Amino acid sequence: MPEQTSSGMQCHEFDGLLTDALDGLLSGAKLDRFQAHFRACPACGPLFAEAEAGRNWLKGLTEVEPPAGLVENILASTTGIASDRLRAPAPSTQPRVSWLEKVQAWFSGAMQPIWGTVRQPRFAMSFGMAFFSLSVALSVAGVKPSDLRQISLRPAALRHTYYSTQARVVRYYENIRFVYEVESRVRGIKRNLTPAEPAPAKPKDRKNDTSKEPEQKQERNYSQTENQLILACAPLGLSVNDLPVVSVTTYRRFV
Amino acid sequence: MEDVQVVAMLVRRCIAGDAAAWEEIVQTYNRRIYNICYRFAGSGDDAEDLTQEVFIKMYRTLPSYDHTKGAFVTWVTTITRNLLVDHFRKTKQDRMTDSIDAGTSEHEDAQPLSEQIQDHSAPPDAHVRSREVGETVHAALGKLSPELREAVILRDLQDMDYREIATVLKVPEGTVKSRINRGRAELARLLQRTYRQVM
Ligand SMILES: [Zn+2]
Repeated sequence: MPEQTSSGMQCHEFDGLLTDALDGLLSGAKLDRFQAHFRACPACGPLFAEAEAGRNWLKGLTEVEPPAGLVENILASTTGIASDRLRAPAPSTQPRVSWLEKVQAWFSGAMQPIWGTVRQPRFAMSFGMAFFSLSVALSVAGVKPSDLRQISLRPAALRHTYYSTQARVVRYYENIRFVYEVESRVRGIKRNLTPAEPAPAKPKDRKNDTSKEPEQKQERNYSQTENQLILACAPLGLSVNDLPVVSVTTYRRFV
Repeated sequence: MEDVQVVAMLVRRCIAGDAAAWEEIVQTYNRRIYNICYRFAGSGDDAEDLTQEVFIKMYRTLPSYDHTKGAFVTWVTTITRNLLVDHFRKTKQDRMTDSIDAGTSEHEDAQPLSEQIQDHSAPPDAHVRSREVGETVHAALGKLSPELREAVILRDLQDMDYREIATVLKVPEGTVKSRINRGRAELARLLQRTYRQVM
């Protein structure tokens, strides 16, 4: 910074008076000397203009509002006790929360991230498969899908994934020996349960009606694959209760 | 700025364990401390954390406050400033080692301010416009070296006098004035460049 002595003031002196000059505190001979240096010095002239502009920019900044809860957080982190005055309603007037409600609140809070994950498409696919196998099991056990719908186990997104991937799911299940085994046992259980009932509901769409062969015999004629397909399509809205075993041929058409 | 006797009494009550007195102190100074932290640190989240830290430190060191040695607000501001400096040393954003004479020009071109502000080509209403200007000035402030930044914050945003600022910063009054001049001028240059670019 060039020192300017011709006006009787040096740059460092000008610098020292600059804040006072901007605050309007200079007067008399001091102000004259300041102004003389301001006009003559190539460094201090621009400095004055810039300092003035900068101060004006800063003066234009307004105070920001502290975030809500700051005071409460400070009090909690210092005294360790929340302020009574800061709590809008007195604690005694607040409704009592039962332990059950607390557990429910905790549980729903804990489930939140899980639901977030489940909603992702790749998990929805897995979830759809899981739901599908659950549907099979429930249908076989006599629970209707309409009952399931009422407890909203089917988010809209899931349903879409479910239908769009159903064909693949069917093929997938065909290859699982375990399913065959479960299926055959369930069939055995059903067989034991059904005799008490009157004749199974009349097949709705029966074509090969020529014989009144016992169910067991007829059933024996079907391949495992076909039965698998029947069970696989059951969750489409048909429960096994609606599907007398004798009428399997009819329902094959759904596949 | 403050009634020395009233504050001294408040502090004594605090030390004696009067929670209401402490709450009054928190209520009185949280806004000021938060604003210093916000303007210095740049982000609201940092400012919130730092403000809490300041009060925690104040709470612990309250017995060391001597009202005969200076105003309570100066003491509070000193704690705040020291914590801010520590914070910036820790977060490696510290430019305290830069000499004042070197300036900050080598940092300025790294990220032009015009990139940090919204599109000015279609000026919305005056309120939005003034908010955008405020954000631009705030961003420019963050580009000043910490020692220039703290000086202009205490002077132009907190309206402290030079003697108080000198106490807080532990430097002579002449140095305070010099830093304020440089801080203001540097800010004006940054903003001048910004507005020349976008307009
Ligand atoms: Zn000069």
